[in-house]
Amino acid sequence: MSGDTMLLLPVILPFFAGIIIGFIKDEKQRNRMVFVTIAVELALVVYVAMVESSLTVWNMTNRLSIAYHIDGIARYFAVLICVIWLLAAVFSMEYMKHEHKPARFFMFYVMSLSALVSLCFSANMMTLYFSYELMTLLTFPLVIHTQEPQAVRAGMKYLGYSIFGAGLGLLGFFFLNTYCFTTEFAPGGTLNMALIDGHENLLVTVFFFMTVGFGCKAGMFPLHAWLPTAHPVAPSPASAVLSGIITKGGVICIIRVTFYLFGADFIRGSWAQTALLVLSLITIFMGSMLAYKEKLLKKRLAYSTVSQVSYVLFGLMLLTPVGFTGALLQVAFHAVAKNILFLCAGAIIYKKGCTLVEELRGIGKEMPIVMGCFTIASLSLVGIPPMGGFVSKWFLAQGALGSSIGTLAIVGVTILMVSALLTAGYLFSIVLDGFFPGNNFNYSAVQKREPNDLMIIPLLILSIAVVFLGVFPNCLEMFINNISGVIF
Amino acid sequence: MHQNILLPLLVFFPMVAAILGYAVGRKNKEARNNWACFTTFLVMGGTLLLIGKHARYSLPEFCGLGLSFEGDGLRVVLAVLTSSIWFITTVFTKEYFAHYHNRNRYYFFMLMTLGATLGIFLSADLYTTFIFFEMMSFTSFVLVIHQESDEVIRAAQTYLGIAIIGGLVTLMGLFMMYHMAGTLNIEALAKFMATQEDKSKFYIVGGLILFGFAAKAGLFPLHTWLPEAYPAAPTPATTLLSCILSKAGIFGVLVLSCKIFLFDAGWGNFILILGVITMVTGAILAVFSVNLKRTLACSSMSQIGFVTIAIGMQGLLGSHNALAAGGTILHIVNHSLLKLVLFLSAGVIYLNLGKLNLNEIRGWGKDKPLLKFIFLMGVLGITGIPFWNGYISKTLIHESIVEYIELLHEAGQSTIYMQSVEWIFLFSGGLTLAYMTKIFVAIFVETNPYANTCYPSRKGDYISKVSAVILTLCAVALPIVGIFPYLTADKIADASYHFMGAHAPEHAVQYFAWVNVKGAVVSIAIGGLVYLLFIRKVLMERDHNGNLVYIDRWPKGLNLEDRIYRPVLLIILPFIGAFFARIAGSLTDGFVSILRMAIFNDDSGRVVPPEDRYFSAYTDEETDKIVYGEGFAKSLLMIGVGLAVAMLYILF
Repeated sequence: MSGDTMLLLPVILPFFAGIIIGFIKDEKQRNRMVFVTIAVELALVVYVAMVESSLTVWNMTNRLSIAYHIDGIARYFAVLICVIWLLAAVFSMEYMKHEHKPARFFMFYVMSLSALVSLCFSANMMTLYFSYELMTLLTFPLVIHTQEPQAVRAGMKYLGYSIFGAGLGLLGFFFLNTYCFTTEFAPGGTLNMALIDGHENLLVTVFFFMTVGFGCKAGMFPLHAWLPTAHPVAPSPASAVLSGIITKGGVICIIRVTFYLFGADFIRGSWAQTALLVLSLITIFMGSMLAYKEKLLKKRLAYSTVSQVSYVLFGLMLLTPVGFTGALLQVAFHAVAKNILFLCAGAIIYKKGCTLVEELRGIGKEMPIVMGCFTIASLSLVGIPPMGGFVSKWFLAQGALGSSIGTLAIVGVTILMVSALLTAGYLFSIVLDGFFPGNNFNYSAVQKREPNDLMIIPLLILSIAVVFLGVFPNCLEMFINNISGVIF
Repeated sequence: MHQNILLPLLVFFPMVAAILGYAVGRKNKEARNNWACFTTFLVMGGTLLLIGKHARYSLPEFCGLGLSFEGDGLRVVLAVLTSSIWFITTVFTKEYFAHYHNRNRYYFFMLMTLGATLGIFLSADLYTTFIFFEMMSFTSFVLVIHQESDEVIRAAQTYLGIAIIGGLVTLMGLFMMYHMAGTLNIEALAKFMATQEDKSKFYIVGGLILFGFAAKAGLFPLHTWLPEAYPAAPTPATTLLSCILSKAGIFGVLVLSCKIFLFDAGWGNFILILGVITMVTGAILAVFSVNLKRTLACSSMSQIGFVTIAIGMQGLLGSHNALAAGGTILHIVNHSLLKLVLFLSAGVIYLNLGKLNLNEIRGWGKDKPLLKFIFLMGVLGITGIPFWNGYISKTLIHESIVEYIELLHEAGQSTIYMQSVEWIFLFSGGLTLAYMTKIFVAIFVETNPYANTCYPSRKGDYISKVSAVILTLCAVALPIVGIFPYLTADKIADASYHFMGAHAPEHAVQYFAWVNVKGAVVSIAIGGLVYLLFIRKVLMERDHNGNLVYIDRWPKGLNLEDRIYRPVLLIILPFIGAFFARIAGSLTDGFVSILRMAIFNDDSGRVVPPEDRYFSAYTDEETDKIVYGEGFAKSLLMIGVGLAVAMLYILF
């Protein structure tokens, strides 16, 4: 082991703490333990992320090793993940009261965090792949938590798709091992151009399949199908982090592969770039359209994730600094907004037991604060100023128009707009019916169902974050510019 | 550059006040109402302080690109107009809303909308304009939907739908504009466009940006929300929509026409055509309407059409645009003042009767001289009778058309097109007279044959002292502006010329010369004929008791929204989209199913060990379908497939 050992701590702490949590019977004690673990984890991540440092844990061979390294991407994602993980955990403390086996849930919930932090910190392809598989396996119990046949089936689908996707990633890894100087991530790529000469097309193909493979986690067409099946069956706080955060695990891998192994210059102008842009645009439209037609609230939100995460992939595949900024902003804004939406859905299920959209008429009269947060998150996802989503959309569109992809730019921006319209269609309709149920609504049945503070406070914090980051996006933007300054 | 803190204060103070007011309103309703009046009064004072100054303020890094505000001529005129009308309406709201639910919500969003609207009028770049424009759309939506009945919800949904679509299309245009010009600052854009040889390649971008603004202004064919949403909203909100919010759309049209496409004849002509269609459509709809608020709403649409014509004429006239520019801003101001009086009067009627249908409110105002006087002032103003304010601006617009015809004549070009525009203009002026006479006669002159069944007895005055004083003051202002145009109207126009790239006309316009009065006389004659021959004869009918009543003869099917927009947007396009999305969505799963059929011999798709139901179920099918082929038959099939593949390989 060489380097800064402190780096190992945030990776292993949740893992072992999670195991302990699994054995705590007393609810209060367990909740306290969960909160303390994740809060300490957040502090640790912030602490180690302050300086650029690296750590090699284990050298398997001279080319393969488990190693961690802190850079801009690692910081950005790790802090985001921990913050949202903490808030969703607070929410689940109340929510899990009506689910069985809460100890098992929290055990895997906390343990997954270690896989995610490990994924963010990975310094090379080996570690990335290892963390990625670990993430899949540790989140699998969250999906099948209810143990109903439907959930188990969804879980198997999740597992199948994820492993297949990761397999494609692994396949690419074999090629990269040959054609790269090293599989350590380095800004701008590590391709050995002398070896590649004459094999460009092969490498571009490898890139395409790796991205499609990792795109599976991010819900990109054609490997998106697991997402609308798996997210709705999990308990709501789990769906919130699955949709908001785990999908971003795929995004991290794609960023690493694209900008830290292949390098943007190698891919720019290749058929793979065009193909991936087209795939992400198809996903954006398909996700929104299916969400618009979906009747089940959580499934609608899951389709929405399919669409919104592909905004990120679209931005990344533009391969321009502005597009990259838009993509990373979208990562943060989508993570926050989608968490709000799923947590609101959770609060509604918890308090009222409604899962269908049409049952939500008049819900705003019963749960005004929850639906208020839902409205703010919807505004952000649609991209209405001054919410966060507007800023990321602005950068994405400018990135598209400023890139060298020709007519695809206009088509892309148009699809972004159409998708925004559909997003408005499938989210605002809930808000409208919720707050303005109309004449034949039975007002006498209305009763206050506002959930308690454990649920409300995370929602409020996230909602304030959406507005605040939308009005002052520059702190994030500057941070992202530092990253993109290195990789382009 | 010197920063004037007043500008952002005017925008953000009402928003903060809205939050404070909401908190106060939970405890004390009276205090909240007074707080709202006080806030709007302060804002009005603030805008008055801007007069004669050229203030700027920028908030860099706000919302990404940063906000920037500017307060100069036209912007200050609009801001003063906004804040004063807002103040008057807020005072009136107190009485109007006395028995309403959810007043706290109304006040909150009303003050938010005020901030957002001022943000639009004081914006120095289109990015700022857009941000506040979107905010205004959403906050005003809550005002429209306030009454929450089914019809109101439907109207409000249309309002929101068109606002969202309009916003997105405008945003698309802004993306492209920013990409091409590298800036959205209005002055910088004007400079950039001045360097462009060929402006026609910007027409598409301009059209996209125009879309959202035109929708808010209610220009044809995006007007469909207007005749539904105006009557649906509570009257104070309708007043704001008609007087101010529609002008926010017009502000966008002005920025496009006077900054980006300054003196561009092609663009001017496009705007002119939109204006003409809107003007006529609005007027015709108003003639047919039998609902007081709906008539006034359609009238708003028609008047916005007049303003739009003036903007279009600015583009056509090029650097001779002084008359058109003056007409533009004066008609904006006049229309706001007139509609303030008219809508608030309608509010008084609704407050007492709870009805708006002409047959039901007929004759109610007969014995109420004060209200009759107030309403009459509004009617005379809007129909453009000399010595009332509407006449001044309509004359300017008419003169600008005449001027252009003369220019064309001198250049030896055909004037048929512009002459027909002039005649349509005069005809619409006539229609204005006809529909205003219709409602005035109905409410204040005729006797209601069913009076005793229609009017509930209400104790006390029909209007509170405060409202009466305010309304009277507003009503008296109208003829004053009309009689002394050189002291009032010309001043407003002078302040605004700079923004529209115009110079004050060399000699003052002779408003009351015969040449100018002639147009008004023609309009009045047309209006009288339409009223007597069409409205009295065709749109009225004897009912079974032999009394003449107003009937709605507008063909039911003739409705753009129900016939085209809703079916296309809500049924046809989603169906096509969902069809393709479903195909794409199930592609992978279908592929997996086929693979499973090919690979697993077991027809249920289960893998061993079957006794463990959790970790052996490798199927996501609800029912265990019988998979095609088993054993020998399947093997044969697979051999066939293999052979076919080999054949294809050899062939190609």
